[in-house]
Amino acid sequence: MNAGPALEVRGLSIKFGDFTAVDDVSFSVKRGEIFGFLGANGAGKTTTIRMLCGLLLPTSGSATVGGLDFSDGGKGIKGKVGYMSQKFTLYNDLTVGENLDFAAGLRKLSPAYALRRRRELFDLIAFDSPLSTMVSSLPGGVKQELSLAAAMLHDPEIVFLDEPTAGVSPASRARFWALIRKVTELGKTVIVTTHYMDEAEQCGRIALMRTGKLIALGSPAELKGAAFPGPMVELDFNGPAPAAALGGLGKAAGLLELSPHGMRWHAAFRDRPAMEAALAALPPGASRAVIEPSLEDVFIRLVEGAER
Amino acid sequence: MTGFDLHRAAAVARKEVMHILRDPFTLALVLGLPVVLVVFFGFAIDFDVKNLALGVYDRDNTRHSRQLVSVFESSGYFLPGAVDSPAAAARGLDSGRYSAALLVEPGFGRGLGGGGRARVQFIVDGTDNSKAQAVLGYLPGLTGAALRKFGAAVPADPVPLKTRFMYNPELNSRWFVIPGLAVIIIGLLSILMTALTVAREWENGSMELLLSTPLRPAEIIAGKIAPYVGLILAGVFFVNLVARFGFGVPFRGSHLLFLGGTVLFALASLSQGIVISVVTRQQQLAMQLSMISGLLPSLLLSGFIFPVESMPVFFRYFTMILSPRWFMEIARGVTIRGAGAADLALPLAALAALCALLLAAAFKKFKTDLEP
Repeated sequence: MNAGPALEVRGLSIKFGDFTAVDDVSFSVKRGEIFGFLGANGAGKTTTIRMLCGLLLPTSGSATVGGLDFSDGGKGIKGKVGYMSQKFTLYNDLTVGENLDFAAGLRKLSPAYALRRRRELFDLIAFDSPLSTMVSSLPGGVKQELSLAAAMLHDPEIVFLDEPTAGVSPASRARFWALIRKVTELGKTVIVTTHYMDEAEQCGRIALMRTGKLIALGSPAELKGAAFPGPMVELDFNGPAPAAALGGLGKAAGLLELSPHGMRWHAAFRDRPAMEAALAALPPGASRAVIEPSLEDVFIRLVEGAER
Repeated sequence: MTGFDLHRAAAVARKEVMHILRDPFTLALVLGLPVVLVVFFGFAIDFDVKNLALGVYDRDNTRHSRQLVSVFESSGYFLPGAVDSPAAAARGLDSGRYSAALLVEPGFGRGLGGGGRARVQFIVDGTDNSKAQAVLGYLPGLTGAALRKFGAAVPADPVPLKTRFMYNPELNSRWFVIPGLAVIIIGLLSILMTALTVAREWENGSMELLLSTPLRPAEIIAGKIAPYVGLILAGVFFVNLVARFGFGVPFRGSHLLFLGGTVLFALASLSQGIVISVVTRQQQLAMQLSMISGLLPSLLLSGFIFPVESMPVFFRYFTMILSPRWFMEIARGVTIRGAGAADLALPLAALAALCALLLAAAFKKFKTDLEP
């Protein structure tokens, strides 16, 4: 196995007619990394992943996936990657065994190898129902896990997961993310899209996308540091915020961001003196606490801020 | 078609068989519907005209005239009813009570005896031209039978013309309709099957997953078509069983030739279904397009009801691109006439060409990328 990056993307773009779905995206992913794509619907996450799996041909730019490029139309890449789509997991009218046999057949795995892989993966996902179980009778979370097993049956180097936890319960989501970490511990690279902030926090690095462009890239801590160099305060006015106080705060020097979070407000400042000056002008009843910015704050500042 | 892999195609085919076995509706549709329709239409569609109400005005009322009427009655084509004047017969035709009228002039019997001319008038309601044609077709046979009955010297024809209907001596229209009907149903079902199964994979997103593997379009097409060829052949088998033992339709030709023609026709229709589904990618739309493209041309332009030879020039040529038109010739030729491969070389070659063309179109239209 060569030691190069799992994924190397340079200036990748794709156009559908006049619409640019992915616009000049460049990044690279290390082996064994959990690399997340975060963005709203239509930001270009799925399209980027589809290109990297060989499902869409880029209009321009280049990419190597597992050391291979698209010069053969993506055929080589398809052998190296596993893909789990957001829309479809497993055939509901087939049994677990039939679904996995089909996946093995498409990859031309020998029966002995397929059997060994199936046992390993069933261990990994802790699946112990009979093979003759109809997929339609399985809960959503188990289906997602089995779908991951099917995508990994041929032991791919890189696994692409497109919103793998859409529509499953919070407990199943947590289980699935524990599974993703186990997969990377096996040396696999996982590329995942999500729009859950708590899932993004669990990624090694995150690519933030908006309208086809990659607008920020880094670990969760790096993104927070870049977006909010100064402190952030959570304000609680114990009720609706007085318009005058908010207006004054909004005009305060050194304010980077002021956004509502439920009944509370998050205010980010350039530095500590700017924060202290601004907070001094607030009515005394409001409680204030310096907090760590979350990825949600980053998302609001970078994605929605860019739209304002 | 480089890189076609039989194992991957077989994996797709195996999965398709599972889908079919788990879906009783599909099974019932392909195995049951053709049989039900053939039985239904076998009884209902009858181009033979029988039991026509015939107004009879017999002014002669002699032994001979009564014999004439009895010939009409015993033929089974007519139900004679006496009227008391030519005007009453005319009124009966106007009101639709009678489809035809027979007026026997006085002196008919005498005429036959050698004393002058024996004259009979026969009036047919021409509103329904196919019915009128059928009635006129019966007349020579009926007059011949009557003359024999009178023991009269049948006037020698200057040119003796003897008509003999080959292959279907009784002109039983079921022999003609049932094989044709089977062609239409089998064609429509074949188109529908692949159109729906491939569109379903697009619609539920599984096509995306299939394409993310090394699976090639040719393998998907082959894997999707193969199980349905088997299913369609089973359907055809049951239809032939019913046609033969239920309706006495003969099977005079080679079973192997018929099988070959059926496989070609099924392949052509199944490929047409694939073309439809890769273009629409939606079950609803694929269904509608299949119904239109699979039913209308084959009903109207395949020669099922209207002979291709009598179509306007444009349509005559247009029918050449329709696979049911060619298989119609093969099916009727093999079953009713016992035609051999040499006799059916043209339709077989045309069907094979269309089959290759549709398969190529399915392959070409099948895009491996997901571009909307």
